Amino acid sequence: MDLSPRPVGPAPRRRAGNRWWLLVLVATVAVAGFVVTRFLTSAIDYYCNVDEIGVREGCEAGRRLRVQGTVEQGSLAAVAGSTRFAMSFNGRTLDVSYLGDPGGIFQECIPVVAHGRLVGDVFEADRIEVKHSNEYVAENPDRVSGDGADVDGCSQQQG
Amino acid sequence: MADVVPGADLTPTRPRGVATRATRAIGALAAVLFAWVLVGGLWFTPAEKQQGESVRIMYVHVPSAWVAYLAFVVTAVASACYLLGRRRSLGFDRVAGASAEVGVLFMALALVTGSLWGHPTWGTFWVWDPRLTTTAFLFVTYVGYLAVRGTGATPEQRARRSAVLALLAVLEIPLVHFSVVLWRSLHQQASVLSPDGDVKMDGSMLTTLFVGVVAFTSLFAWLVVHRQRVQAMGDALAIRELDDAIAVRGVAG
Repeated sequence: MDLSPRPVGPAPRRRAGNRWWLLVLVATVAVAGFVVTRFLTSAIDYYCNVDEIGVREGCEAGRRLRVQGTVEQGSLAAVAGSTRFAMSFNGRTLDVSYLGDPGGIFQECIPVVAHGRLVGDVFEADRIEVKHSNEYVAENPDRVSGDGADVDGCSQQQG
Repeated sequence: MADVVPGADLTPTRPRGVATRATRAIGALAAVLFAWVLVGGLWFTPAEKQQGESVRIMYVHVPSAWVAYLAFVVTAVASACYLLGRRRSLGFDRVAGASAEVGVLFMALALVTGSLWGHPTWGTFWVWDPRLTTTAFLFVTYVGYLAVRGTGATPEQRARRSAVLALLAVLEIPLVHFSVVLWRSLHQQASVLSPDGDVKMDGSMLTTLFVGVVAFTSLFAWLVVHRQRVQAMGDALAIRELDDAIAVRGVAG
């Protein structure tokens, strides 16, 4: 039997696919870092309720804020391309001005989050987000006034 | 594998499939339920009072998110079985990998459909709020998990590394689910699994949503079983190729 060592050939090449997976792994870590960073940045001024402006830490009146409140019934008006309304939370009310149409399902009596700054007594928003509750009610054109949804007198007009 | 003749044609005369009677039944069930969701979701359920027609996205979004959670939990359980099992069976590792692949697919679907729903409802496709951010983070984590599975290693090394990662990653799921309770979030709280236990949803919407969850879960089971069987065949082929190479070398020596 021939037990002499085999001739050594060229070293086997590493599979190129492995390197691609390594790149994907590094990219994934980078994206995860980006996501966390963005979240922490956003969290700094996320969601002050209307009644917390100037009261809670991080909700100082002079800084950029995100303010949560409910659009008051009868306060919605379109003035020279701006949407103006009052939003309230825990008995405190804030006048809001937004240039343009907020979009989404924006309407009276719906909770919203306005992004912007307080200028004088008016909150000048440059972004409006509309919150939706976890209730899913069927649209019913035959619904009569006085059912549970309409007892509080909130209209469902689009803003 | 010692009886393999080097150079022999290993192509089977009749291709072996990965389907069984059971998987065909699961597939048929999923197809029927998807048809139900399609018809019910588009025609027989009403529009929502505030969201209007966009509520129909919920019949895909919610089941997708549910299946993604389920998939990642299955990955964790299979990983634990691998690590704690006496034999360290690679079968558990294959189930973990297959489930994670399907989970990533459905998580992506949940993110896309959520974004498509967000624009007509919230007025924006995306916000960096707690629910959306933690969900994106969960998605990225499992893309990373799949990347770890793809790095060069022996099957045993791959299984061990990815099992440890899966057991850590699954801890993110409670954080995602309860993010809307822990922090102020634009995303609404759960409607079906709400903290107060009260389901606030129209009856026909709830029924269609439930059927959707069962349909997506059936599809998940069908995909995972097939995927792990394909992986098992791939591993068997790799072993056969190795045996063949050893046999060739033996003849040459």
